[in-house]
Parts: sequence; structure tokens; C-alpha cells
Amino acid sequence: MSFSQFALQLITGLQISAIYVLVALGLTLIFGTLGVANFAHGALYVIGAYLGLVISSQIGWAWAIIVVPIVLFTLGILFDRGLLQFFYKRPVTDQILVTFGLAIIVQELARTIFGGTTRPFPPPQWARIPVELPFGLGFYPPWRLIIIAVTVVVVILLFILLRYTKFGLMVRAGMRDPEMVRYLGIDATRLFTLVVGIGSMLAGIAGIMNGPAQSIDPSSGMVLLVPAFLVVVIGGMGSLVGAVIAGLIMGLASSFSVVFAPQIAQIIIYLVAVAVLIFRPRGLFGVEGIG
Amino acid sequence: MSKRNTITKEIIYMGIAAAVIFSLRWTVPLIGGYPELATRILIFGILVLGLDILVGLTGYLSFGHAAFWGVGAYVCGYILLHLTQNVFVAMAIGIAVVTLIAFLLGVITLRRHGIYFAILTLAFAEMFYYLALAPLQTWTGGDNGLTGIRRPELFGTELHGFSMYIFVCIWTLLALYVARRIKNSPYGLMLRAIKSNETRLAYTGVNVFNYKVMAFVISGFFGGVAGTLFAAYETYVPTESLHWTFSGEIVIMSVIGGFGTLVGPMIGAGIVLYLENVLSAMTEQWHLILGIIFMSFVIFLPGGVMSLPDKLRKLFGSKRDEATGTVKQQAGD
Repeated sequence: MSFSQFALQLITGLQISAIYVLVALGLTLIFGTLGVANFAHGALYVIGAYLGLVISSQIGWAWAIIVVPIVLFTLGILFDRGLLQFFYKRPVTDQILVTFGLAIIVQELARTIFGGTTRPFPPPQWARIPVELPFGLGFYPPWRLIIIAVTVVVVILLFILLRYTKFGLMVRAGMRDPEMVRYLGIDATRLFTLVVGIGSMLAGIAGIMNGPAQSIDPSSGMVLLVPAFLVVVIGGMGSLVGAVIAGLIMGLASSFSVVFAPQIAQIIIYLVAVAVLIFRPRGLFGVEGIG
Repeated sequence: MSKRNTITKEIIYMGIAAAVIFSLRWTVPLIGGYPELATRILIFGILVLGLDILVGLTGYLSFGHAAFWGVGAYVCGYILLHLTQNVFVAMAIGIAVVTLIAFLLGVITLRRHGIYFAILTLAFAEMFYYLALAPLQTWTGGDNGLTGIRRPELFGTELHGFSMYIFVCIWTLLALYVARRIKNSPYGLMLRAIKSNETRLAYTGVNVFNYKVMAFVISGFFGGVAGTLFAAYETYVPTESLHWTFSGEIVIMSVIGGFGTLVGPMIGAGIVLYLENVLSAMTEQWHLILGIIFMSFVIFLPGGVMSLPDKLRKLFGSKRDEATGTVKQQAGD
């Protein structure tokens, strides 16, 4: 394998990783604070992608980039207030079932509105002309590079938010011990709602970014949900660092396996997951004793 | 209650079940179905019965039963297609493979609880879907599914239509009987103890892990029976039989019927397949309707159709029954 080939696979892998990380971070945030495995997370991704498609084609890309995260944040808050909050105290199986039900409804609504076939989702005009990469690597579609860059920025912002703000401190405390946070007089309900909002926003950003890179159809959310969940489990549920690291591993594994072992490219992430879980059931950065 | 009394009760119960199962081919068309739909309902019934042994008794929600169903169907279909038309040989090998897979999956996934378990079963079942799609496509037919399966034979007679129906009926009755025996046995009690408090059970010196794996394997065995029957009945195995949304679909059936009641999920399978048949002829949004029905059940009637009499009694009846309805709910926590 030549250097340029390696570099191109690396970029492709990082782009896949970026989407995994965005989706998995939201999942793990929601799980860590609320203890809910959100099976509707793929649905939020699909909403982000279709909303981005509609706004970018009708009004313009600049608007899509601004509007989609805001709408998804709002939807997340409505999702928590309108549905999830009634399930905090119900058995985990009920939480899984109700979010799964919502995921089906969103998917089928998307099918009703946009049709079942894949829809092309062109990236913005300025991101269509391939750019020349340094070191003689040749030309590369810039949109994938933008996805990586946006994800890096989003992840850094998220970590700053969680590490250096009072809100972040409360969220981290909530992930450690939600009961205690309530006893300290912190409005945990408001906190939870905001976390769901942020998680949904991340899924929406993933949707609008990944839509043009691949293509979108109503079931793409359900398809993405499975690897995203694996990333969360491999990283250790509730661990943000774990989600990022595991997302990188999974994305690079699926990208490089296409070159080295094309037969197992489709299932490589599952094999990685089996390996990790056999030797470390709680995940790479998981806390012992949870689950 | 005396032992004789219990046996009489069991005979009456199985007698009623047999009457319902063996008459389905004529009752389903009465309400707008077609005769083969009865066979289909019964095969799905065996699958959800197996799911209920795991989910209803131990409380471990599996999103991976498509793997058992699908692998069983593929193996059985492949054998019918290329090796022999003997239905017992094809089914036996299919079920054996599924049971082995169930054991391996169980050992990996049952190390984690609740949410993790659901996600892990989902993920590993999905692995089989991708395996069938590309790496194994020479055997599985890839995207097209396994087509052109020859009709199975039982003692020289071809099984299809009515004879297939009778064959499936016998299997269903057998499955229901075995499942009931398991549920009411001391072993079944152990499984229910896992559901109510696993840690407490472990502290009493019980090897909980072994019990869980056993339950998972039994559940997989039922799935294998159903999957192999499906291949023999349909003479076609679509790739979707391995997809995780299929696992979701049978979970939906079970929820609508009522987890933990054995007959409930079977009734749920009947309701969903019947509605699918009727509604998909009228509207394209059948799956949307199913999703809405499913969510309404999860929100308003988590115990499924089977808990309806209890609920109604609570609403309209005397106060004396109130205690019974709530116990089930808490056990699920």
C-alpha cells in the first residue's frame, strides 16, 4: 500500500469516524445522565438530514446550517418533555420500546413524505470542486474534509462546555450520581432536558453533514443506529472520551478493511466489538459495576 | 390443589389450544384472511413463544431473535435446495446450527444486563445479516435471498398447503406444551427469580449465568424451529429475515399480545399478521399504523392484550381485584 493510498483511506476512515462520534456522543450523553438507551436517535439523524435537504434546496445552505441544529435542539427538548420524562421511572425495557416505536413512526412518516427511495443531497456549491491535497495526494472532495473539521470543532466545544462551565459540571455530576444531584438542590429535570436537546442537536448535525456524503433514505437512521450503539458500548456507556476513541477505531477499521480484507469489510466493526467485549465487557472507558 | 386437578386443568387448557390452532385455517378466512395466513401465524407464534421464554421469564429483552429465525431458515432452505428434501433432516440440522449459535451469542451477550444486552443482541444479529449479504452470498444468494427452495417431503409426501398446515399445527401445539411446562417448572421459577432480582438470586448461591445461557439457548431453539419451518413453508428466504428490524417486529407482536403470558405473544403475532394482511391491501402506510399501534400499547397498555381483562375489571369492577393487576408491573423493574 502506497503512502497516498494510505492517506486517502485515513481521510475516508476519519470521515466515517466523525459521523459515528457525533451520533454516539449524543447517545452516550443521554444514556449517562438519564439512563435511557435512545433507540430514536437514528430518527433524529434522519430528521436532521431531510430538514437539511429541504432547507438547502429551497432557501440555501447557509440557512440550513443555522436552522437545522436549532430545530433539532428544540425537537430534543420537546421529545424529553413530551415523551421521555414519563418513562424515567419505567423499566428500561419500556424505555427501549417506546423510543423504538417513535423511531418507526418517524421513519415511516419520512417515507410517506419523501418516498422510500434514496434522495440525492448535493453539498453546497463551494464544496463540490475537489481540492488538491498537499504531499501530492491528489484531489479530494472537500465535503468529507469539512465533515471532519466540523466534528473536531463540535467535539472540542462540547468538551469545553462540559469541562469548564457550571452547566458542564452539573451534567458530569449527573452522570456520576443523578440521585445526589437532586439532593443538592439542582434542578435535575431541566438539566436532563437540556442534555436531550444537545444530544438531538448532535444527531441533527450528523444528519446534515453526512447526508451529502452518502445519500439519504428513510431507513438510513435505523441503519446508522446499530454501529453508533456499538461505538457507545465499546467506548463504555456513558463515557464521552470512550465514544470518541471507539468512534475513531470503528471508522478507521471499516475504512482500512475495505483495502486489506474486503470480504469482512461489512462486519469488521462487529468483530472488533466481539474482541473488545470478550476481554473487557464494560467497554474501553467504561466504569466498573455499571450494567 | 390436588395433582389430579392440575392435570385435568392442563388437559382442558391444551384441548382448547388445540381446537383454536387446528381450526385457524378456517377461522382466519372468515374475517378476511386467506388459509395460508393461518400457517404463517402459527410459525410466527412459535418464534414469539421462544422470545417470551427469554423476555417474559428472565426480563432480558432481546433484539436479536432475527438471527435465530434467519439462520434457521437459511440452513434449512439450503439443505432442502441442495441436499435432501427430507423435512426432518433439514429441520434437525437447521435447529442444531441455531442452537449452537444461540449458545455462543448467549455467552457473549449475557455478560451484560438490560440496555447493554438489548444493544448487543441487536448488533450481533445484524452481523449475521451482513454475513449473508456479502461474504456468504454464494450460499445465501446475497441480496436476492435464497430462492427456488424445493418443497419438503415427509415420508414421501410433499408438504404444502393443507399438509404443511397440519405439520405446523403439530409443532405449534408441541411448542406451546413445552413452553408451558418450562414456565411452570422449578426451572421456570428460577428464570422468574432472575427477572425480579438477579443479585439476590446470585447471593443465594445460584449460578445465575448458567440459567440465563440455558434460557437463551432454549429461546434460540424455538426460534430455530420457527425459522426452519418458515423456509419449508415459504420455499423462499428473504434477506430481511436476518435484519434487526425483523427482531423489532416480533418484539412489537409480543408487546401487543403481552410479554410473560406465553399465549399473549402468539395472539399478538396473530393480530399483527392479520392487520398487515388486511391493512396493507388498503393503504401504503401500514408500517406507520403499526408503529402508532405499538407505541399506544407501550404507553397505555404495557401488559398487552392479555392485561386488558384485568384493566377493565379495575376500571369497572369491584376493588377486591385491584391488588393483582399491579404486581406484574413492578416485577418488570
